[in-house]
Amino acid sequence: MSAAVSPQLELRGVTKRFGGVAAVDGVSFEVAKGDIVGIIGPNGAGKTTLLNCISGTQRLDRGDIRLNGSSIAGISPHRVAKLGIGRTFQIVKPFGSMTVRENAAIGALFGSAQARRGVAGAFALADEVLELVGLRAKADHPVSALTIPDRKRLEVARAVATRPQLLLLDEVMAGLNNVEVDDALDMVRAVHATGVTVLLIEHVMRVIVGVCRRAIVLDFGHVLAQGEPEVVLRDERVIQAYLGERYAKRLKS
Amino acid sequence: MAAFVQLVILGLLAGGVYVAVGVGFGLVWGVLNIVNLAHGALVIVGGYITWQLFTAFGLDPFLTLPVDAVALFVLGYALQRGVINRIIRAPLLFTFLLTFGVNLVIVNILLLIFGSDFRSVTPTYSGQGFELGGIVIPYVRLASLGAAILLSAGLAFLLSRTRIGLSIHAIAADRDAAQLVGIDLRHAYAVTYGLGAACAGVAGGLIAMIQAITPTAGEPYTLQAFVVVILGGLGRVSATVVGGLAFGLVEAFGQSIPGSGSVFANAIAFGLMVLVLVTRPQGLMGRLR
Repeated sequence: MSAAVSPQLELRGVTKRFGGVAAVDGVSFEVAKGDIVGIIGPNGAGKTTLLNCISGTQRLDRGDIRLNGSSIAGISPHRVAKLGIGRTFQIVKPFGSMTVRENAAIGALFGSAQARRGVAGAFALADEVLELVGLRAKADHPVSALTIPDRKRLEVARAVATRPQLLLLDEVMAGLNNVEVDDALDMVRAVHATGVTVLLIEHVMRVIVGVCRRAIVLDFGHVLAQGEPEVVLRDERVIQAYLGERYAKRLKS
Repeated sequence: MAAFVQLVILGLLAGGVYVAVGVGFGLVWGVLNIVNLAHGALVIVGGYITWQLFTAFGLDPFLTLPVDAVALFVLGYALQRGVINRIIRAPLLFTFLLTFGVNLVIVNILLLIFGSDFRSVTPTYSGQGFELGGIVIPYVRLASLGAAILLSAGLAFLLSRTRIGLSIHAIAADRDAAQLVGIDLRHAYAVTYGLGAACAGVAGGLIAMIQAITPTAGEPYTLQAFVVVILGGLGRVSATVVGGLAFGLVEAFGQSIPGSGSVFANAIAFGLMVLVLVTRPQGLMGRLR
């Protein structure tokens, strides 16, 4: 059921420059509907810039991004959100003056066409989503009372409440300990199981191998390798990019 | 003792106008981070609409208040969408310059249309009042306090219970996150400014019933709105209500000091503002962020 006719998300030669530096340089890949794909790469590889391009907060210098076959390049971020692309931030950005439930409800109130159903409906949807990410018991807490892992959950909840068809997760596991990562993995699986396509950026290899069906490796703005996570992570170029040439050779011998 | 009670009541009644002037200013400041120097000019626009409707059609001035609100909302929305949105992320000084410029433009358009004569709105019941235990309570003042409280309650309801209100909270909390859940920032900014202007318009309608207005009469109200919002604390409608009533009380007591007049009252009000900033910078009702 995974192989759809036209890919849900398609990047063609996406390029984003900051001055003379190409943070993302000619990146092309596809994400099929219902897939769960991980983007990995060393610091500064252009992962977050790539997500910014997809969600519309940064304009492409070249290339095209298509959602279900139609271009979304150059569209403003709130329109991209309404088209059904949800997004979380690596450094969480909760609405600090609100409760947990209100945060999620904002996502449900605006978001994609599937999400909108009035204020009361939005709060009902918010509760469903909070249940899904395991924050139901803390729905009435102010955001300031949440721990870091819970704030990350809230970030996901708010994005899921927009009822996206595609969810972009920017390092939701960063800064979590092992136990917390396992919990977060379960959450990502649960969200994916609701039928949302997931594209996630991750530093923690365990996450990529644990949940992703496909991995894309970025290095200096280029796609270095893509394919099944286990295969990609054994790729010599990937090991070199991460650990340096000396370690790659040592591993080989 | 009776004199004291009279002062408290007169102060609270006068505070109604300051509440109305303050809520819109506080909303724009808190959400858009714009200290809106055109606020007083918008207040006076509301005053002229009320005056025009009263003199041309004999409409009861209190019935003109919704017209003020709607007209000023449209004007404010257009101003934000067309002009002020361009500098929304610019440093504070730019917002000062731009809103001061907008203030000048509005004042001069009013001068062109209405001239510089004093205009006042005097319905049959103006100047009348009733006596309560030896204290005279003017009808207009009492009704304007009621209107200001209603306005604040309406605004608070809108902000906490409706879709557009929640989007205003969201853009105040985090603009980037807000647009990524699907909130159109430029529209939400414009609605916020429009609501601020609508409140200013209602305040103007109330002011026109209490004192004579000219196109340049708005400037003190910008200043008073500033003091009221600082007194109460930024970020909540209820805080501005407290700030406005406190300002009215302080002014009433300041004016009661023998031989002081209104100059001394201003000195006391601004002195209180400085005192609040020193001892309780978040305002009487504000929360530290």
